[in-house]
Amino acid sequence: MKKKKDIKVLLVDDEVDFVNTLAQRLKMRELLVDTVYDGEQALSFIKKIEPDVIVLDLKMPGLHGIEVLREVKNIRPSIQVIILTGHGTDKDEEEARQLGGFDFLRKPADIDLLVAKIKEAFAEKLERAMTAIAYAEEGVFDTAQKIIRKEE
Amino acid sequence: MEPNDEETLPALHLNFIGKTLSVFTHEVKNHLAILRESVGLIGDLAEMGKLSSKAEIADSLQVIQAIDNQIGKTSWLCTQLNRFAHRMDKPFSTFNVNEALEELSELLHRLANQKRIAFQKDFDKDIPPVYGSPAQLELLVFRIIDQHMLRLPGGGAIVFKTGHTKDSIKINIIAEGNLLEYNEEVISHDDICEHIVRRLGGDISTAAGDGKVSITIPLSFPESGGEFDLKKTKSS
Repeated sequence: MKKKKDIKVLLVDDEVDFVNTLAQRLKMRELLVDTVYDGEQALSFIKKIEPDVIVLDLKMPGLHGIEVLREVKNIRPSIQVIILTGHGTDKDEEEARQLGGFDFLRKPADIDLLVAKIKEAFAEKLERAMTAIAYAEEGVFDTAQKIIRKEE
Repeated sequence: MEPNDEETLPALHLNFIGKTLSVFTHEVKNHLAILRESVGLIGDLAEMGKLSSKAEIADSLQVIQAIDNQIGKTSWLCTQLNRFAHRMDKPFSTFNVNEALEELSELLHRLANQKRIAFQKDFDKDIPPVYGSPAQLELLVFRIIDQHMLRLPGGGAIVFKTGHTKDSIKINIIAEGNLLEYNEEVISHDDICEHIVRRLGGDISTAAGDGKVSITIPLSFPESGGEFDLKKTKSS
C-alpha cells in the first residue's frame, strides 16, 4: 500500500507568537511544520532540509521576503512559496508572482484557506515533478529542468 | 522655480503621516493575525476534545492569557496613534517632549526593527513642558531618524536623550553602531530640518562624525524672532 506523503511546511516570520501558534494549528491538520524567524535562517534551513512549501512573511528584520523568495528559487526551485504578509502592496504581489511565488495571502488569513493553498501548492509541485521525471526518462533533461524551475 | 522650504513642508508632513500610518497598520495586522491564530487554536482544541484534562485546561488558559496580553499591546499601540493624531488638533500647544518622542518611537518601532535598529530612550524625568508645535517637532525628529537609519545599514541603535536648562529643552538623537560617513545622500539633517527648528524658535547642530544631532528648543515662547511668533501673528 502506498504511504501517504506528509506535506513538509516551513514557516518564516519574525512574529514569534504568531508563527508558533500557526505551527501548532497546522500540525493539528496533519502537516509537518518547522519554523524559523528570519530570511537568513530560512536559507540556512533549506540548504539542509527541503520543505515542500514555505509560508513566507515579507517584512522581516534583515533579508526582505522578496529577496528570500528569489534565493529560494535559485537554490531549490522546486520548493513552493506562499507569501503571507501584513503589509503587502499590489506591487509586492506582482513581484512575488513574477519570481515564482505560488500565492499571495494577507494577514490575518483564514486557516482553512491557508491549508487549502498549501495542499494546492504541494499538488502542483508533485505534478511538475512527475512531468519532469517523464521528460528526464526520455532523455530531455533541459526540459525536465525547466519544468522544475517553472520556466515551462 | 523650485518650491521653497515653507511650500514643501505640508507635502513632507503628509508623507511623514502616511508613512507612520503605514507602519501602524502593518503592526496592527500582525497583532490581529496573532489574535486570530490564538482564538483559532482554542477553537481547534475544543473541537478535538482537548479541553478536558487539567493539563489541557492549563494549556488553554495560557493561550487565553496570551490573547489578553496581545489585546493589551494592540490597545497600547492604538493609544499612541491616537495621541499622535491629536498632536495635530491645534498648531501650538503645551506638551511634554518625552511623551512626544515616546509615541513616535512606539509607532516607528517596526520600521527600525526591520533594519535591526533598536530605539533607546534616556529621558530627563523632570523635563518641563514646552509650548510649541508637537506635530512639527515629531516631523523634525522623524527626518533625523530617517537619516540616522541610512547611516546604519548593518543595524545598531538610535538613542533619544532629553535634558533641560532653566531656559530650554535639549533633545539629542544619537546614532550608534557602524556608521556610514556623511556624504551627499547621507546627511545629519537637511534644510527642511533647519527650517522647522527656526519655526520652533530653536537651534539644531551636529557633532561631527559621531552621529549625534542636537536640537535645542526654548522653554517659553520667544518674545521675538522665530517664524511662529504668536505676538507677531496676532498683530498682523
